[in-house]
Amino acid sequence: MEKKDYKGSVEQIEQIALETYKLIISSSLKEAIPGQFISILCPNKTLRRPFSIAHFDSEKNELTVLFKLKGEGTNYIANLKKGDVVNFLAPLGNGFELVNKKALLVGAGIGIAPMLFLKKELDKKNIDNYFIAGFKNNEEVIKGADKTVVGGSVLDDIDSIIEEKKIELIYSCGPNIVLKKLADIALKKNIESQLALERVMACSIGVCRGCVIKLIKKQEIVTASVCKDGPVFLGSEIIWD
Amino acid sequence: MGLEKLKTILKNPISGNCLELRTPIIGASGTYGYESEFEDFIDLNCLGAVSTKGITLEKRPGNSGERLFEVQNGLINRIGLENIGINRFIAEKLPILESKNIDFLLNIAGSTEKDYETLALIANENKIKALEVNVSCPNVKQGCLEFGLNPEGLFKLIKLIRKNYEGFLIVKLSPNTTDIKPLASAVEKAGADCISAINTVRGLGVKINYNSNKFIKKCVSGGLSGGCIKPIALYMASEIKRVAKIPLIAIGGIATLEDLFEFIYVGADAFQIGSANFVNPSICSKLAQELNQFMIENNFSGFEELKKAIKE
Repeated sequence: MEKKDYKGSVEQIEQIALETYKLIISSSLKEAIPGQFISILCPNKTLRRPFSIAHFDSEKNELTVLFKLKGEGTNYIANLKKGDVVNFLAPLGNGFELVNKKALLVGAGIGIAPMLFLKKELDKKNIDNYFIAGFKNNEEVIKGADKTVVGGSVLDDIDSIIEEKKIELIYSCGPNIVLKKLADIALKKNIESQLALERVMACSIGVCRGCVIKLIKKQEIVTASVCKDGPVFLGSEIIWD
Repeated sequence: MGLEKLKTILKNPISGNCLELRTPIIGASGTYGYESEFEDFIDLNCLGAVSTKGITLEKRPGNSGERLFEVQNGLINRIGLENIGINRFIAEKLPILESKNIDFLLNIAGSTEKDYETLALIANENKIKALEVNVSCPNVKQGCLEFGLNPEGLFKLIKLIRKNYEGFLIVKLSPNTTDIKPLASAVEKAGADCISAINTVRGLGVKINYNSNKFIKKCVSGGLSGGCIKPIALYMASEIKRVAKIPLIAIGGIATLEDLFEFIYVGADAFQIGSANFVNPSICSKLAQELNQFMIENNFSGFEELKKAIKE
């Protein structure tokens, strides 16, 4: 679908956990797939702020994003009111590839956002899945996973879950440290991992090369922009910093 | 909307060399891709040209690690000239630019004189109408900016490029110097047709957070762009115009119609829009429309007349 500059309006803005907000925007955006993101214009900031789509309602033309307060940009968004105009670019990036394989979904912290959308789409396609999410403490928990881990690491029981549930594919989003470990686990178990990365972005459409990472493809090192070529990459191809 | 009033001719008064632009609005190198990447957002016909991503002889992977750091009203980048190299540009991107009828400035950068010479030859062989020579990238270890800060070396380099390239030759100058005037003079004497300025300003972004009894530090050193560099760009433009007769393409924090007027006042003949494309990907179209509308409403017959009126 063609990328566009949308003018939407705030349908709902609500605090759902500690320093964590849910924003529902109604706009003319007609479709989006899990893993894709939008880039919101924050007045007086040079860079837009990118957010994974956490839900897309194609009947009401409403999209949902979840975000944590990080600074001036997210503070601006958190202070929007119902009916306020939101300028955003969408739909951006390539989403997850939905494969008919028994899937494990891992959402670490605010990385749960695209997993919530993915879970719904997998369920719609009757693809068997198990969804685990991890948070630092009770105040930060966002509901929606089959299993929620509070404190400790979301990866603590991951080996036994993969064995017990006979997992064939891992999807995840979260901090790099979690994604890197998951990529290693997937490689060891010889299963595919699709990981959604987060990076500071400037153009959001692949031209400025500001959010570039290195991949290994066919034994050759290549660069890829998280905003256009990603944000979802195969764990087996990512070269971690 | 017809934008005929915005037709701009950049003319070197010494040699008579000309570059005709549909409008004086140009997408700045590094922010506008290689070809038609912005066509989802705007009609590219509102642009005078796209200045391509800086192209080197061989492909470059760019810098590792964090490449962006946002500051108040600006942005620091350290991309490091990541690009696909001239051969892939000619094979893959040039046909797209030609088939879509997009006017462009081929932005080139090199580590050695030989690099620039070869790039100029290739541009000439491919009948590329306009070349923008980048001697001002602050983000690469070798070459590029080294040539751009020494008037004698710059003169020699531009003369060499001029010898090998017949088209419209633009040199993009750096603000990272105590006096830009000798550089502008050297470029003009060496036979360049036009100056574009400024490239990014050297800057350091520092962020320190106190977390769990520890200071977490982040430092990004690179080129500063965006609204915060506009006063520097205005000053440099006025300095360049004190010594150079060839036309000037102004760059640096341009985002509004008022900015265009301010840069015309200090001597700009056309404009490049950079970081503002990240805020609003249709900003180039918006500026062209607004400039056109202003000229219609206030009875200016053409861009030359408007420039004269502002400078009077």
